[in-house]
Amino acid sequence: MQYSEKVLEHFMHPHNVGKMEAPDATATEGSPACGDQVTVYLKIDKDKLVIDDVTFLSYGCASNIATGSIITDLAKGKTLEEAKKITWRDAMEALDGLPPVKVHCSVLAADTLQSAISNYEIANGLKEIPNFSKDTILEEMKKIIYPKVGEDIVSLKMVKYIGFSDGEVLIDLNIPSFDQWRDNIAEEIREHLEKYPDVKNIQINM
Amino acid sequence: MKQGSIYMDNCITSKPDPQVLAAMQEYFTEKYWYPGSFVSTGEEINTAINRFKEVVASSLNASPDEIHFSSGGTMANNIAIKGLAYAYGQPGGHIICSVVDYPDLLTNAAYLEKMGFDVTYLSADSEGFINLDELKAAIRPQTFLFMTTIVNHVIGTIQPLAEIRQILDDSGHKIYFHADAGQAYGKMHLDLDKLGIDTMAISAHKIHGPQGIGALYQRKGTKLGQLIHGVRRVDNLQTGGLNIALIAGFAKAVELSFADITATEAQLRELSNYLIDKMEATIPHVELNGPRGDRRAPHNVNISIDYIEGEAITMMLDMHGITVATGSACASQGLQANYVLMAIGKNHVQSHGSMKFTLSRYNTRAEIDTVVSKLAEITAELRKRSPLYNAIAEKEQ
Repeated sequence: MQYSEKVLEHFMHPHNVGKMEAPDATATEGSPACGDQVTVYLKIDKDKLVIDDVTFLSYGCASNIATGSIITDLAKGKTLEEAKKITWRDAMEALDGLPPVKVHCSVLAADTLQSAISNYEIANGLKEIPNFSKDTILEEMKKIIYPKVGEDIVSLKMVKYIGFSDGEVLIDLNIPSFDQWRDNIAEEIREHLEKYPDVKNIQINM
Repeated sequence: MKQGSIYMDNCITSKPDPQVLAAMQEYFTEKYWYPGSFVSTGEEINTAINRFKEVVASSLNASPDEIHFSSGGTMANNIAIKGLAYAYGQPGGHIICSVVDYPDLLTNAAYLEKMGFDVTYLSADSEGFINLDELKAAIRPQTFLFMTTIVNHVIGTIQPLAEIRQILDDSGHKIYFHADAGQAYGKMHLDLDKLGIDTMAISAHKIHGPQGIGALYQRKGTKLGQLIHGVRRVDNLQTGGLNIALIAGFAKAVELSFADITATEAQLRELSNYLIDKMEATIPHVELNGPRGDRRAPHNVNISIDYIEGEAITMMLDMHGITVATGSACASQGLQANYVLMAIGKNHVQSHGSMKFTLSRYNTRAEIDTVVSKLAEITAELRKRSPLYNAIAEKEQ
């Protein structure tokens, strides 16, 4: 398994790294338990709604640091509307690709950027706190990468059923019992859903 | 700097000694024959193999006919574990090993479980020692096999072999004792006559021998069911061909490693203590995993560097020509935290930030100085980027 030159460059000399004093918005995603955590800080021009400055911190591997670096490069100077369209695929492309087992790092970086933007919009009355629903779960499932091939589990049709009622999440997955990534995917699903206060319990059937 | 110019991952594989390469040479060129009877070529190889067996046997205080060459440590473990199960495992038979064992033992245990045997996995304490009270309690009349990893492959814990044998003997019936000595052999004295181990696997390339060859010790009187069926060329357990040159190289590596094993052990221990002391003195927020002192293998140092992740550290060290290993999930096959560290009660951050240095007789104090100074720089750089460390640094201020 090898990283592209671009990834190594951004890993060794990351752009926009460091804590920002008095940011206009911030978000932290991931968890130390899963081995990666990213924080994104935003400085926003309130009149033009442009990202004047963006920095990040990363606890994680080389690709985690590199994706944090590239996502901040992509977001810098963009309007919020433009930045909201930045996806993990854009980050991955800008890095000349990632090994399949590392694609989840680009998802985490993009996710953290989007959370920071969303936090800004909510805090400044630009949008309402979205209601938690089955759609929220589906959107979160689209952020979970099957490390064997580097695609999300929804595109791969591995999610057979999503249920949600009274705080109980039920997810049926299509994944063979001998698959070496089973535990990893279950962990990722829990990590993505446990952060929502509406979620009380998560049941994953494989 | 040149790739791998400072190599501290000797538990995976080690640099062949030049004398090992020289010893193999003639078996690749003029003496390329197989063992045989009534022909001088075959007889010469017979004699050579017997001599090589003597070398390995004497390093373990065993007799030559208790030594079988195999194509590596994993093969030896398979021949022994499955062989013991075939020979002594009755329906409902019971096996004991532990959650911190080497994958060779754990995957064989899982296979035998599938085949209908019952397996008890003992827990380990915070230093990686298996729980002996659990062992006593787990033994039942159907228990026929106990297996252990003499030196833990992750944290260097040396299991208390004599106490284990005593507990097995106190059960009042014969329990076979299989050991993986991949990390122990060539690093310390192992007197198999005294230890009461029945089968044991060793490997050549971890003691500066060639890759692809190992050996199985089979105590006299211990039966092994046949795992590998085929024509008998070199060994009756691993049938089929075995590379004679590799066996010659293995024997030379054993000779060199055991020429003065006490001195080698002392040299390795001195180096690893120097590495531990230096890291603890230079880098804040680090913690040694596994025991200290002589209950730890002399060549193993495993340390958790808090708030940063091991794959990033490993890659940065690699860019300086330094090869080490990490227990980070990011660098593992299944993206899971290291199972040994988790089993001894470490948290995810400690596991992801764990670095394993395994030394050899070729390593020097000067190399350790370089490694620690680079590691200190890398740690400071990665901590600057880490949200976990920034949060801690703020609190400390």
